[in-house]
Amino acid sequence: MSFLRLVTIAAAVLSAALHAALATDEPYLQKRAAMVRDQIEREGVTDPRVLAAMRDVPRHLFVSPSFRAKAYEPYPLPIGEGQTISQPYIVGFMTQILRLKETDRVLEVGTGSGYQAAVAAKLAAEVYSVEILESLAVRSRRTLSDLGFRNVVVRQGDGYYGWEEKAPFDAIIVTCAGGHIPPPLLRQLGNGGRMIMPVGGPFMTQNLVFIEKDARGSITHRNVLPVAFVRLLGH
Amino acid sequence: MSTAEPRDRGDLVFAGAKAERVVPAVFFLSAATLANEIVLIRLLSFRFWPHFVPLIVSQAMLGFGVAGVALQIVRRRVERSPGRLFAWMVLLAAPAFDLAFRASQFVSFDPFLLLWDPVAWPRFGVFFFLLAVPFFLSGCAMAIPFAFLRFRPGPVYAASFAGSAAGALVALPFLMLAPTGWLLRLPLALGAVACAFVLSDKGGGLRKGRAAALCAVLFLLVIPPADLKLSPYKDLAAVRNLPGAREIASRFGISGDYRAVFAPGVHSAPGLSIRFAGEIPPQATLFADGEQRGIVPKDGGRTPPAYLGYFPAVLPYRLFEHPRVLQLGLRGTEGVLTAAANGASSVTIVEPAQELVRLVREDLSEFSGGWPGSLPVEIREEGARNFLARDRRIFDVIEAADISSATFSSLGVHATGETFLLTREGIRAALARLGEGGLLAFSGWLKAPPRENVKILRTIRAELSAARLVPAADRVAAIHGWGTFSVVARRTPFHPAEIDRVRRFCSDYGYSMVWPAAGAEAGGGAEERALREAVSDAMTGPPGERETELFDLSPVTDDSPYFHRFLRLRTLPEFKRLLGSQWIPFVEWGIVFLVLSLGVSLVLAAMLLLLPAAFVRDGTGEAATISVAGYFSALGLAYMLVELTFLKAGILILGDTIRAAGLAIGGFSFFSGIGSAVSGRWESERAMKRVFAGIAVCVVAGFVILSAAASPLLARGWAMRTAAFVATLAPAAFLMGIPFPAAISRLAAVGGSAIPFAWAVNGFFSVAGASLASIGALWLGFRWTVVIGAVLYVMAGLLFPRVGREIRS
Repeated sequence: MSFLRLVTIAAAVLSAALHAALATDEPYLQKRAAMVRDQIEREGVTDPRVLAAMRDVPRHLFVSPSFRAKAYEPYPLPIGEGQTISQPYIVGFMTQILRLKETDRVLEVGTGSGYQAAVAAKLAAEVYSVEILESLAVRSRRTLSDLGFRNVVVRQGDGYYGWEEKAPFDAIIVTCAGGHIPPPLLRQLGNGGRMIMPVGGPFMTQNLVFIEKDARGSITHRNVLPVAFVRLLGH
Repeated sequence: MSTAEPRDRGDLVFAGAKAERVVPAVFFLSAATLANEIVLIRLLSFRFWPHFVPLIVSQAMLGFGVAGVALQIVRRRVERSPGRLFAWMVLLAAPAFDLAFRASQFVSFDPFLLLWDPVAWPRFGVFFFLLAVPFFLSGCAMAIPFAFLRFRPGPVYAASFAGSAAGALVALPFLMLAPTGWLLRLPLALGAVACAFVLSDKGGGLRKGRAAALCAVLFLLVIPPADLKLSPYKDLAAVRNLPGAREIASRFGISGDYRAVFAPGVHSAPGLSIRFAGEIPPQATLFADGEQRGIVPKDGGRTPPAYLGYFPAVLPYRLFEHPRVLQLGLRGTEGVLTAAANGASSVTIVEPAQELVRLVREDLSEFSGGWPGSLPVEIREEGARNFLARDRRIFDVIEAADISSATFSSLGVHATGETFLLTREGIRAALARLGEGGLLAFSGWLKAPPRENVKILRTIRAELSAARLVPAADRVAAIHGWGTFSVVARRTPFHPAEIDRVRRFCSDYGYSMVWPAAGAEAGGGAEERALREAVSDAMTGPPGERETELFDLSPVTDDSPYFHRFLRLRTLPEFKRLLGSQWIPFVEWGIVFLVLSLGVSLVLAAMLLLLPAAFVRDGTGEAATISVAGYFSALGLAYMLVELTFLKAGILILGDTIRAAGLAIGGFSFFSGIGSAVSGRWESERAMKRVFAGIAVCVVAGFVILSAAASPLLARGWAMRTAAFVATLAPAAFLMGIPFPAAISRLAAVGGSAIPFAWAVNGFFSVAGASLASIGALWLGFRWTVVIGAVLYVMAGLLFPRVGREIRS
């Protein structure tokens, strides 16, 4: 067989494979677009960068195959170990309120599926994510790596203490509810930094609390949204 | 139904042996069945949440009902050898108590997912069905003697009821002796005793197959029990998952399963001030039936941790120096350490769970460092309402901390739990124990829209106003932090200087003052403004229910002590409209599960009871069917409404759910059993008229007496309270045991073909009645639920003369 024929055949095979891959992803693309349009943009999340990030990140690849068909529905889904992936609106809301810049260094507490970290990684320079459960840390690290997210580092550990070595952070996002704002996280928030965290009891509605540290290090806070989150383990 | 004598050999049926073998077998099997019910309440509370009382009762009723229908469907086969079938039903029921539960643990069901995942529904159905299987087998065994062996219903029914009572009485002390995972040993053992009576045939010879079956039961008794699989959403499951987590102490008893787990990843400090910059020491978490109950800081007794001064709940200590403190409920050691760190002169803790007290005071003393040496600490092992009624001491601060939690809900997660401390009567009792300037303090999680804090403010205001301590608004202060609130109230108005102290406390610790409004800061977001408006309305607005409110925030009373029931059915459509797809997390989980379990149980009951029964009806006319259906459905519903309402009302007097369940279910079973045993004397229509009238009178009078006597009884000892509780239900329960066997006798006299249908209908409405009793208590109150039960008995009385008469004619 001539070289040219071989190349032609290889190209055809690759093209077919690519087409097949795209075709497989096609229903999810549409669902993702609909999710962003109907659940996020329509509900008041209007930052174009955040919307673009959420259109980009394949949420369905962050849940188990048995839940993929529901990945773009407006509710959280179990990811094992009693934890959940937050509903899309909450991810969009929390990301928007942090006003992430391309130069920002972000700390995430509670990696879970890794989806929130992936969205943040589209908008910021670096994302450091801590997950206390080893199985979830391993799985999310693999998923993020497989999807090519090179600016996310996942570590297994107690997120209550943040990530001292990488502090200060421009933004901190806590994705599971706690009864109070951990003092170590407040210390690791840089001047001019923003933090968002659900605060409240388990199995009840909590409040998303937004915290800002000004240039002098003074902290202000306000409740921004009642939500229902899986609890921060140990908290 | 054939009246021919059974033909096969190897049968129990011969005159002399019948009563000797069958009646004790029924007795012990009934004991096993009721013990299984009580044990399942504990097991399912531990695995999931304690909403399962009506569910378990529904399962039992479903099993019994399906038994009757199944016997009708295969009646020709049963008639060939009813004695043998009876023996095998007993032999299968015994191991089923253990095996059904083991099997149910393999069903991947979690009630938490019911609202999220449609697949959870059929799983729930399978789970429900599996746990009903032992009740089905028991029901078959108990029905065969009078449906096929031609026993008089009265003595068999009496043995069944007496056995049930015995099962309840044995189950309660067994809960103190056996770890949670071993509890199913009790119904298994009682079932094994029942098996011993059915091993031989009519000639007295041992049947090898049956003996082998008994050996299998005994084998189950000695092998280790199945590990209990906790829902991953339980607090205990979550903490166990943390790296380095290990259980350091545990105790079990009637009131619950208590464990202490230490995990380095635990940092519990709900509502901690943003001003706190220090460290939270290592903590052990206490669990009651798998739910978090309190925290024990390591070495806290030696050096009270600094963080304990940084909560909104510390407010009363800023208003009263060196108070004599009463804490309602033991929250680990944090409560005492907080009091010690804030200058208390003495602390008295009231906690009914003895096992929890011993766990904290003895088992964890080395970890915790004991109590702070300088502070006198006393723990009283009794219910809060009992203590407040009995102890005449005066206190400067009475704390009810974390009112959003399981501590104040005897049945656990909120809405369906009785909270007798947070009723108007409970608040009244607490206010009466305050000294001059003394403070009543509540704290809990702050929700949006606000609920607990507003409801407790309204309750306090109602009681202050009733005591003519007005304006109530001058006697209350309310603040909040990140996610927690604190409310303090007293009988005398606060001075301006004291309000200044509250304001400074808030300023120093980063909290917000909400009431008095004049002292509060202006501004804040929409949510803050909504909270202030709600609090202001609670303190100064018109009293009474607000029609336009999304939630029910009216004060509750002992007649419907469901403080955490906020859902209003009539505003549910508006609720969903406002919240759209986000409504699910805001719905009260307890009520949702109650309604869902009612729905699933009714679907199963319709499929397994009514449908088959409708197809196998034979020879009975339409009118007869309607009378039979009406009569037995009224009985099934009414019995459950009355029994479960007495159970719930008994929680206040007896102090906890399991005791109330044991005594109510056992008491009703026992006295109804006696009624059934003597029912043959009153089967005439004239006598039965008096019976039904007597039921209605005794049910209502018994409940009225119980309610009226509650307050004086609370101050009495446990023996007196138990005796009084049983005395109020005994007359009604005795009479309530008569109508069912009396009607069954009438149906048996005309051939008995309608008996399985009657049994099925009764079972269906008993299934419904178990959940409807809870729903009635939540929305109508105990009184009206009991009255409805009494009315249903009157209606049944009107139908009684028609039962069997149309068939005969």
